[in-house]
Amino acid sequence: MSDSDRLSHDVQRYLDGEQVEHLDAGERAQADSLLAAIETYASRLEGPGSELDGAVMQAVRVKPVPTAHGSWWQWLLQPRVVSVRPALAAAAAVALLVVGAVGVSLRQRAGTVEPTAQAEIVLVRFELRAPEAEQVTLAGSFNDWSPEGIELVRSPDTGLWTGTLPLSPGEYEYLFVIDGISWIPDPSAHAQVDDGFGAANSVIVVGPRGVVRS
Amino acid sequence: MTCITPIHLDPATDHFTLLATRVLMMAALPFGSQGGLLIEGAKQSDGKLVRRILAGETDLYRILVERYRREFGRYAAAMLHGDSDDAADALQEAFIRAYDGLASCKDPDRFKAWLFRIVSNQCHNVRKRRRDHLSLDRVEDPAHNPADQDLERKEIGAAVGDALDKLSAEQREAFVMKHVDGRSYAEMAELMGVGEDALKMRVHRAREELKKHLKGLL
Amino acid sequence: MKPVTLLLITALAAASMAQPMHAQQVSIREQLIARGAPAEFADQVAAVVAAAEAEALPTEPLVSKALEGWAKRGRVPPERVLAVLSQTQASLRLGREVTLGAGFDPPPGAVVAAAAGALGRGISREQVLDIMTAAPEPAGAATGLTVAAALAAQGLDRPAAVKAVRDAFRAGRSPDEVLEFPSAVTGLRAHGESLADVARRILEGGGLPMPSQQGMGPQAGRPPGVPGSQPGQGSAKKKGQSNKP
Repeated sequence: MSDSDRLSHDVQRYLDGEQVEHLDAGERAQADSLLAAIETYASRLEGPGSELDGAVMQAVRVKPVPTAHGSWWQWLLQPRVVSVRPALAAAAAVALLVVGAVGVSLRQRAGTVEPTAQAEIVLVRFELRAPEAEQVTLAGSFNDWSPEGIELVRSPDTGLWTGTLPLSPGEYEYLFVIDGISWIPDPSAHAQVDDGFGAANSVIVVGPRGVVRS
Repeated sequence: MTCITPIHLDPATDHFTLLATRVLMMAALPFGSQGGLLIEGAKQSDGKLVRRILAGETDLYRILVERYRREFGRYAAAMLHGDSDDAADALQEAFIRAYDGLASCKDPDRFKAWLFRIVSNQCHNVRKRRRDHLSLDRVEDPAHNPADQDLERKEIGAAVGDALDKLSAEQREAFVMKHVDGRSYAEMAELMGVGEDALKMRVHRAREELKKHLKGLL
Repeated sequence: MKPVTLLLITALAAASMAQPMHAQQVSIREQLIARGAPAEFADQVAAVVAAAEAEALPTEPLVSKALEGWAKRGRVPPERVLAVLSQTQASLRLGREVTLGAGFDPPPGAVVAAAAGALGRGISREQVLDIMTAAPEPAGAATGLTVAAALAAQGLDRPAAVKAVRDAFRAGRSPDEVLEFPSAVTGLRAHGESLADVARRILEGGGLPMPSQQGMGPQAGRPPGVPGSQPGQGSAKKKGQSNKP
């Protein structure tokens, strides 16, 4: 490197952001134009977008809780949430009666599926672990995305928030809303899709026999 | 709508602290304002999040992913010829490995530095795989009508990227952290586990190389 | 959960959903204003929806997207919402074109919307036509497309996703049965099959098993894919293959 390529000690300190008295005007100009060039380069740099987050969580979601030993048998013992119709047949029957009464007025918001002659209603359970939240609601295509419409109920010991919705078979997009502020996907949903606004929506497809989640 | 079960918050336990600014934005939002809120609504420390994830609340990992995608995203792009797709590959791999090995992060409060090591390694790996692929053209704005000034800026941007490419890995990394991320030497020392003096030397040398490359353009 | 609690929850949920029913007869403009949107924004949205209606496009996807965008306004500026609506409209036009191409005349709104959604999730035009042709009736086409798109979003290879739906229809399965597929996939994965395994099974003609009645009845506890619990698994068994646990 020739001498003209060297940067003086003062210039280096200046470029480090330090206060330098008596910096020669020529050197200052040199330093400033270097900074400008770097800024030109840096301003065009773009990191990856938010779709990365979903891709990582999708990969990570099927893994067990990280442990020091990562034993495969611990993976087998991991509890999985399987939600279909509640096993409480009596409660289900009673609930369906209630739903039946208002069922006629339920909007057939089953995504793109036309209601069949006898649109069955299926009870679908939603749950989220959020022990520190003060409020968890559901917002989605089943309720016009109203973030305050459907409140989940918290179990005091486990910090698990749950709710059960009567839904017609079909596809639904939705998110959990925590404390009215954080919109969070459902890790146990069938899939996550682009919401078109730069984030993700959770998707479930409800069949006539319910939903099996991960 | 009222809840069926009244929620009693125990003041002794942790709870989400809502940043006042975010609550204000939600409450009195003049619709013309740009939201820009993170999905993450609460500012929990890395250490707390890591401990909760290891305790089983694995969904919280997403908060760390978003946090550090933003923090390290441009660093990764700069280390990979400005290619944000390659940066995405490197970061994705890094996050997955970090998750797998999370229990071996000995000090969860220093998660950032621990993660940075993994990110840096993955950037090296991806870079080696793509050795022949120079994608300086990715660093451009396709919508623009190239005026003379813009062409000149593009040329300068490309030249800087070119110059960075020719640096040693250590000089490049230090330079990027100083001039792209705007970190202090103290912060860099903390993240990279290298002394401040050594880092200063790397950055100073890198600048001189850069100046050499940009001769005639400045 | 106590039966009474369950009852209350569903009643509350139903009550909250009864609101949208009323809202169905209310215009999107009024819905937005009722939710606090500024009149100018509501007008612009209404204009997009009206234009779509004039083109005989289904408006439900636009209405839903507009309400979603407004609900997410903390993060989404109004210009973005309008831009997304305009993209949605364009995708509906594409969906309509393909639906017409499949011979549906007039093209049912639900099918158009489902086609638009499937195309938007990377299902190709040919694949969409495939499903539409195989489906038993228009309602089935909409369901089949929605399910194929959902399977693809779950991570299943697109050819496998499309084949699963198409083969099911050709084998006489109803749209209701096809709706169970995404659940079937998560069920299989919970038992250790990878997406690649599932895709291979489909492409080799094995199809997706119907989820057995989990949690209820004598079949409870039998995971899907276990020999004997599904018809058509016999051949696999004869070859001496054991299903994965």
